[in-house]
Amino acid sequence: MTLVAERLDELVTALRTVLRDEQILTSKPDRYNRARVPAPFPVHRWSERLPDLAVLPTSTEEVAGVVRIANELRVPVVPSDGGTGLTDGAVPLHGGIVLDVKRMNQIKELDLENRTVTVGTGINMLKLNEELARHGLFYPDDPASYPCSLVGGRIGTSGWSLIGARYGHTRDLVLSFDHVLPTGEVMHVGDGIGRKISKSSSGYQLKHLFMGHQGTLGVATEATLKLYPKPEAELSPFWAFDNYDDAYRCVGALARAGVATFAGAVLFDEWKVAYLRRDDEAYIPQPADVRALVCAVLYGYEDEVRVGGKRLFRIAKEHGARYLGDEISEGDWAARHDRYATPLHGRTKAGQVVPMSWHCEDAAVNYTNLPAVSKAWHEIVADLRRRTDVFDDWGMFAYTSADTGVDYLTEIDVGIWEQQLDDRAWEMWVKAKRDIAAVAIAHQGSISACHGSCREGEVDLVPEELGRGYGVMLDLKRTLDPNNIMNPGKYLLDQAYDGSQR
Amino acid sequence: MTQLDRQGTSDPVAVPFTPGMRDNPEELALIPDEIAREHVVPPSDDPTPTEQFTEQWRNASYNCFSSGHKFCREVCPVTQVTRNESWTPTAFHANVVAMDKGELTIEDVAADYVNCTQCGACELRCPNSLFTGDFYRFRTRTVDVVKAVRAFAVDSGVHQPQWRTWNARTDERTHEPVLGDTPVSQDHVRDWSEGLDIPIGGETVLFVDCEAAFYRTSVPRAVAQVLQLAGYEFGLMGEQWCCGGPAAEMGYVDQAKRFAQHNLDNWRSTGTRRVLVLDPHDYISFTEDYPKYFGDDYDIEVVLVVELFAQLIREGRLTPSVPIERSITYHDPCRLNKRKGIWKEPREILRAIPGLDFKDVDRVTQWSYCSGGGGGLPVEKPDLTAAISANRIQKASALEVDTLVSACPWSERPLGEAGRSESIDVVDIHELLAESLGIVVGGSRGGADGADPSRVETANDEPVGKRGE
Repeated sequence: MTLVAERLDELVTALRTVLRDEQILTSKPDRYNRARVPAPFPVHRWSERLPDLAVLPTSTEEVAGVVRIANELRVPVVPSDGGTGLTDGAVPLHGGIVLDVKRMNQIKELDLENRTVTVGTGINMLKLNEELARHGLFYPDDPASYPCSLVGGRIGTSGWSLIGARYGHTRDLVLSFDHVLPTGEVMHVGDGIGRKISKSSSGYQLKHLFMGHQGTLGVATEATLKLYPKPEAELSPFWAFDNYDDAYRCVGALARAGVATFAGAVLFDEWKVAYLRRDDEAYIPQPADVRALVCAVLYGYEDEVRVGGKRLFRIAKEHGARYLGDEISEGDWAARHDRYATPLHGRTKAGQVVPMSWHCEDAAVNYTNLPAVSKAWHEIVADLRRRTDVFDDWGMFAYTSADTGVDYLTEIDVGIWEQQLDDRAWEMWVKAKRDIAAVAIAHQGSISACHGSCREGEVDLVPEELGRGYGVMLDLKRTLDPNNIMNPGKYLLDQAYDGSQR
Repeated sequence: MTQLDRQGTSDPVAVPFTPGMRDNPEELALIPDEIAREHVVPPSDDPTPTEQFTEQWRNASYNCFSSGHKFCREVCPVTQVTRNESWTPTAFHANVVAMDKGELTIEDVAADYVNCTQCGACELRCPNSLFTGDFYRFRTRTVDVVKAVRAFAVDSGVHQPQWRTWNARTDERTHEPVLGDTPVSQDHVRDWSEGLDIPIGGETVLFVDCEAAFYRTSVPRAVAQVLQLAGYEFGLMGEQWCCGGPAAEMGYVDQAKRFAQHNLDNWRSTGTRRVLVLDPHDYISFTEDYPKYFGDDYDIEVVLVVELFAQLIREGRLTPSVPIERSITYHDPCRLNKRKGIWKEPREILRAIPGLDFKDVDRVTQWSYCSGGGGGLPVEKPDLTAAISANRIQKASALEVDTLVSACPWSERPLGEAGRSESIDVVDIHELLAESLGIVVGGSRGGADGADPSRVETANDEPVGKRGE
């Protein structure tokens, strides 16, 4: 919270010219409940992350009105949608207005001929797909947070999808959107100016710039999305291995096979298998010699999935895989959104169950660097665990990002006992995050494939990762947001304003 | 290159292990800790009421706070219509964590806790309950947290105006003021049974909730006549008071306990061993609240009428034969489906009724459906209840049915009102079964056809019991 009482009154009075009272929330619980996202959180420093107020607009015009007022009054605006991100994009660092677009969740137009749907960005993908299913269609943006994350957040973070190898990721699936710039002007951005154009060569390709900026360049309010036929068949075999190396070689071969219905593959390492043994409903009773797992997923028509599946089964067999059977395969894939990580699995080294929050550090890493990166990451977390039970290693996944197997979303899941966090523990964690990011860069990867990289620790290395590109980011930020209104403090972008921090 | 080099390491933390396994190296438990304290919050000799409260709920709420998945949000009926993060199941837990940290007070948060129907969808949708709950014997307890915070608010002297009035009037009249200005009273609690010749007391009594006894009297009339047709012996309570459940839901726990004590005493005075319940809300009171109040002393068998009727049909003691030409869908009442896992028996009954075109929606999809009529919401925020009901009716409307069948009298008033604009008739399952058994039910379905859903003026002239409007 940053505003003194008189300025807050001035802001609320101005906001009442574009919003109803009921859309302007100023109470303490309203602000506390908009200060955190699921990522580990320094609970002892909760009050430092509070906004001054939250607003719940219902239209692009209202969003534009709020941003215009904020720009005039020089008040920060932090766009928020599902608030389920793992890099604190929606967490206010300098108070101001949390602009929550969750009420903009209407389906505006369903175009069955061109296969598009136009929605308010506050809509959830699962809810959207419930409607689309009636027309035999689906929108295949499938993050771990599928039941709760919303289209606007997917745009603001440039999300990653579990089945992206088949259907592409958020950037491929969002054709165009209405975007409120930091000055309050409304822009339509896509390929060219068309709402439903998937490929244009006209002008700069601006769409990517306005995705993944973590709210630092404005707010998406209405988006047109690409739709696919709802797949008739889904095959999701899970295979077990008695060593990591075979599993690693297998996942590479599966991804490189070029099977058209291949939607993705996942490698579970030995720490992940040990983690899953904490819960007898997951993989136990599996024999102790199961040390790594691979799962592949195929989506499509039944005839094509059947043939593609045969090929993948043959490849898996050549790599020493043991098929875990239909029940585990279907069940665990179906449960992919729920089984991710649960605080109940948090344990001290001695085995005491303690409530832990799940955090997932991710990077984009080439296939050939996966073993080295995962080895280095586990060492970083082992260092934390040697010092304290506040941290727990929940193992690693590597997911294919593309249909060729070039790179993987590589994640290490870390349990954090937030109830025990203090300044010292938080410092340990921030340093670990910095070290984890440094490993990705040292292996020619990117700090994040999925979440973004604007949290403490990792963000320090973003200029190093992007090089001259980071300077371009500063130039663009200053040009588009002359008063540093949009989500200030993120990505170290305050530097763009001659070191004059707000 | 391999990921893991086991050679040459004697460090147990350097290799994968599952904490708590019997054969783990002992060193794992002996490593000194730089950070973790023995007590997350040091015990206090003289705890404040807030500290006593958060001590009890800290870990329950923390398991939600730290998960943060928010999968509950899109199934929550209130969140669906308000899209306000402060009124989500996760916020109800996060506030407890914030109170524990001294960031928020009960005065800050009490009003937010109005925005819950206690339907239980969030608990079912929670990954903590869904996948690991059995193993750890854990269940997310949002409904209990909401009830506890409401009770803590009342104990702390923080009241919601309509709830206070509602419960004061209930206390005065021994029944909820469901008819607004038209007084309810002990003298009229059995009026619905006029002409049915039902004895008082006995081993089995039929308990009729306030809404059904005074407003939708067709429901208890249908139930009583079906029981009579099946030759099932039962009586009515000597002096029935409100079950106390609504008071407990709104935080007025002492009142709820007094009412419960009265009813238990009254059952004992008439030698009653078994209570038949037609209302899901009463069913929660009698199977969850009363056992908590009375412990082992509570030896009353509680029978849900909908389960009993399904059984009587199965045994051939009831055979619905009059065809009912309606196109229907069934509304799973939250307290049956989500709170008690009862969804099969109502469908059995509906499938036994000839003539129905039954377009069913599965019980899991219905986790996100609700009438908005529970948890005291319609008393304090009738507009929210109406919005939730309208949402539910839209789902029925998309199926192109003419009738929505419910098994909960409290849902039928708001759903009925929302149904009117969509030309969807809202009927109780007991009424429908009675009709198919050739019974002329009688009584009132409330609303348009007779009963006076008028309003009562409160101290600040705000309408209460607005559900009838």
